[in-house]
Amino acid sequence: MNVTTLFDTPAAASPPIDGALTIAGLSKDFTVGGRSLPVLDGIDLVVRPGEFVSIVGPSGCGKSTLLRLVAGLDTDFAGEIRLDGKRITGTDLDRGLIFQDHRLFPWMTLEENVGLALLNSSIPKAQRARIVAEHIALLNLAGFEKAYPHQLSGGMAQRGAIARALVTEPKLLLLDEPLGALDALTRIHVQTELQRIWLRQRSTMLMVTHDVEEAVYLSDRVIIMGAKPGRIRRIVDIDLPHPRERSLPQLHRLRDEILAELIQPVPTPGEPENLVRLPVREAM
Amino acid sequence: MTSNLSRIGFGLAPLVALLLLWQAASAAGLFPPQVLVAPADVVAALLAMWRNGELVAHLSISLTRLLIGFGLGAAAGLAFGTALALSRLAEALFGPLFQALRQVPVLAFLPMLVLLLGIEERFKIVVVAIAAFFPVALAAFDGVRGVPRSHFEVAKLYRTPLLPFLGRILLPAATPPVLTGLRIGLTRAWLVLIACELLAAGSGIGQMMEMARQLFRIDVVLAGVFVSGLIGFLLDRGVKLIERRTLRWKAA
Repeated sequence: MNVTTLFDTPAAASPPIDGALTIAGLSKDFTVGGRSLPVLDGIDLVVRPGEFVSIVGPSGCGKSTLLRLVAGLDTDFAGEIRLDGKRITGTDLDRGLIFQDHRLFPWMTLEENVGLALLNSSIPKAQRARIVAEHIALLNLAGFEKAYPHQLSGGMAQRGAIARALVTEPKLLLLDEPLGALDALTRIHVQTELQRIWLRQRSTMLMVTHDVEEAVYLSDRVIIMGAKPGRIRRIVDIDLPHPRERSLPQLHRLRDEILAELIQPVPTPGEPENLVRLPVREAM
Repeated sequence: MTSNLSRIGFGLAPLVALLLLWQAASAAGLFPPQVLVAPADVVAALLAMWRNGELVAHLSISLTRLLIGFGLGAAAGLAFGTALALSRLAEALFGPLFQALRQVPVLAFLPMLVLLLGIEERFKIVVVAIAAFFPVALAAFDGVRGVPRSHFEVAKLYRTPLLPFLGRILLPAATPPVLTGLRIGLTRAWLVLIACELLAAGSGIGQMMEMARQLFRIDVVLAGVFVSGLIGFLLDRGVKLIERRTLRWKAA
């Protein structure tokens, strides 16, 4: 029996049309002590609708800044970010952002926290409670609707944050090291959960992570960034069908490949980015 | 249940010891009996004043002053502290004056206030309001300023409308320090009120004590000490109880 067919829903078969992210000539400077410091320099990136893209890179390469810009939390940058052709000028419910810490409000129950995301949505009030309940159930948190964040484990709270981000059904979901604060075992569980949800919702995902194995396991493409200033060094295609088995030898090979690239010294500026497509499909 | 009872018993033990020591000292005649009145006499005075309604009358007058003065002072403090925290202009304008004035002991304002307002009701209410204003304003300022940036970011991300943002995010986030400020303000207002009544008043617990001192009824003076201490303790406990009930979402 093929495991893949169990997960393959009709939705997954037809690719989504919304959620195309285009980043062109994006640069961002921070002013530190009166001096301008480039954080991101000339980022060009196209993410296809429904694609899962991960960004890895050394700390300080501006990958979290990139997500904040796409989310619209920070609008002070040069260049262009467009979602489905529409220029990003601020936050919007068509983009969700999940942080490393869950950021649930401690004085609200889980369902109040998830419901908060819908306060400014066009969804009629009568349907909101049902939608909130559905998303809590989707993250396997049914029964904990009335629980306060301090009563949830770290993994549950982060799943709550994912539910809150998904409840508005964003076309693009941004994940800023979403599993970074979780222990190894919980991490693996939530990764599997993320994959299941992505296959169901098929929204575009852009995830920053420190965990190369996680990036390789979940993504269609992995972007390797270099630091000072933050640039895209290389893009690696992970051309394997979803859902994946963690033990696939191709995944391990790709992980080692990316790790090796990360350890390498930064190439001299001006060198063209090389897009590498690894021939891994034939092994299937 | 038992542990609760034993904890209360533990807390009461020093009080009982103090009473016994006091009784022993007065029985031994260390001081003249008119000065160091026996505890039993104080209890008798307390009961007598309770029965003839004198105690209740003074107490209700004092508590009414406290309620009005604290209400005014705390409301003004909340509004002022919040405005100072939210507006850079307000902070630049009023911040330094506020920080300087709050260092002045409230009682230092008394001579001036007596000249300006006399010693009638409004004088006492203004003094109580001043006493409540400063700790509450400071707590509101710190509380609102202390709301982490991440809360603002989440609100921005979901484009939370202004009213729910104020009511459901900013207010609860600032509530714990504000409640502590209210508690400090309330007990401080009570202390200052008793002091005012001791100095200048025609009624109230403090005036009752001052009158008794002039008549050399030390038993009544000590009864007043006991009552004002008890009221202060109960006010503090009451707000603590409210704190615990409203902040149930906090990890135990």
